[in-house]
Amino acid sequence: MTLAGPREVGSALSNRPTAILLKVAGGLALLAVWEIVVRAFAPAYVARPTGIARVFFEVLGDREFLAAAGATLWAVVEGLLISIVAGTLVGTVMGRVALVEQGLRYYVNSLFATPMVAILPLVTLWFGYSADARLATVVFASFFSIVINTCDGARSVPLDYLEVARAFRARPLSTLFDILLPSSLPYLLAGVRLAAGRALIGAVVSEFFVSIPGLGFYIVYNSRIFKHNEALVAVMVLVAAGVGFDALVKWLTRRFMPWGRRS
Amino acid sequence: MQERSSRARRATVLASLALGAIVWEVAGRLTSEAFWAPLSVTLKSLAELAERGTLLHQAADSFSLYVAGLALSVLVGAPLGLLLARVAWLRVALEDYIMVLYATPMVALIPFILSIMGFGFAPKVLVVFLFAVFPVLYNTIEGARSIRPELVEVAHSFRTSEWQLWRDVMIPYTLPYAMTGIRQAIARGLVGMVAAEFFLSPSGLGQMIMMGSMNFDTAGMLAAILVIVLVGVALMDLGRYLERRFAAWRGIGP
Repeated sequence: MTLAGPREVGSALSNRPTAILLKVAGGLALLAVWEIVVRAFAPAYVARPTGIARVFFEVLGDREFLAAAGATLWAVVEGLLISIVAGTLVGTVMGRVALVEQGLRYYVNSLFATPMVAILPLVTLWFGYSADARLATVVFASFFSIVINTCDGARSVPLDYLEVARAFRARPLSTLFDILLPSSLPYLLAGVRLAAGRALIGAVVSEFFVSIPGLGFYIVYNSRIFKHNEALVAVMVLVAAGVGFDALVKWLTRRFMPWGRRS
Repeated sequence: MQERSSRARRATVLASLALGAIVWEVAGRLTSEAFWAPLSVTLKSLAELAERGTLLHQAADSFSLYVAGLALSVLVGAPLGLLLARVAWLRVALEDYIMVLYATPMVALIPFILSIMGFGFAPKVLVVFLFAVFPVLYNTIEGARSIRPELVEVAHSFRTSEWQLWRDVMIPYTLPYAMTGIRQAIARGLVGMVAAEFFLSPSGLGQMIMMGSMNFDTAGMLAAILVIVLVGVALMDLGRYLERRFAAWRGIGP
């Protein structure tokens, strides 16, 4: 151990090819531990790296799997869009009108704190065992984090800007589009990142519960017939979708909203 | 003026809660019993469940599962996070994989856990643990990374032992960050708890919701959901309180 602080050591490591080497070695070590532990202690059907590698491309090329992945991810996108439109509307009004904020705050906060799994039976009662139930769960999972974030965003609009707008007698609509929305957009995107993760979980649990075709159902079905390797490929697709979307939104924020950089 | 506006605020909140209660009641009376039960019927059903002792029994079941999983996640996540922060090469080797696991929707692993470990208490604790451990681990690493190098250098100039360094620098400095992780873990652990009670062997509050839905006892189901909502709100407040409490300790604004 060197005398330097953790940060200096870290940056020195990450600047060199040794860092990449270390990361690769770390990944290989994790895979090796996984493989050895499963081979030594677990039944043969349990997923392990070599088993996953064997079925990986087969699963990804499977028409049924692709349809399942498409159905789940499309439901997530659709639900997110609904949440973004409705949530921005509600959140902005809450942020700008104190009466609305006081009236709705308790409902929004409690529903945000509610584990979405708990409302699954209620959702299936209303929407039946159908894709609509999945969409409703995704919307419920994502809506409130967007409301909370856009509400914060609308409240954080610098007062000076609004005063200037008033001094120049800006129309309410141009105040909305030129001041309120741009300045709360970074908050909205932070909310979308949070909402996307929750939406993905919502889609998966609703498929567990409702048994409609999708990645969640694919996982349940295949793990029940002891095809764990195949099922784990579906988990990997879910993770890739989540991480990819998150990176995309982060990049969009940095690239197109330089004013949104918060330390 | 100040007092008046705060009184008006309280009146608005009360009015909105009352309005919500009325809407709940009327919605229940207008629709079919199976779709939505009026508030009065739901509360009556809740009182019945409490009286029979079902509520207390099931809540205790859920609580033991939740606390076991959460405690385990803190006991594993925080020390591991500190260790990774201190041993730089290990952190560089593993941090990306920890990020990926942090982003993994853990519900997706429940079917595997069911088929490998079956029914029982341990697999359910494992689910709560998996939901809760990664926010603790990730935030602890981030916190310990942000320790100013000068602090460690000064400590070394005074020839502190490794143990003293941990006790006087690493742990106090990292605690507020770990608390942010624990706040997230508190919320995610609750989701894990209900998911485990739904999809592994039914038990606790999750079972109460399931029973209500299977018996078309909408009032009973709503009563159980209401309890979970209230528990969720209380736990979120607790998490925020803990976070603020320890943030103030280090003089870092929330």
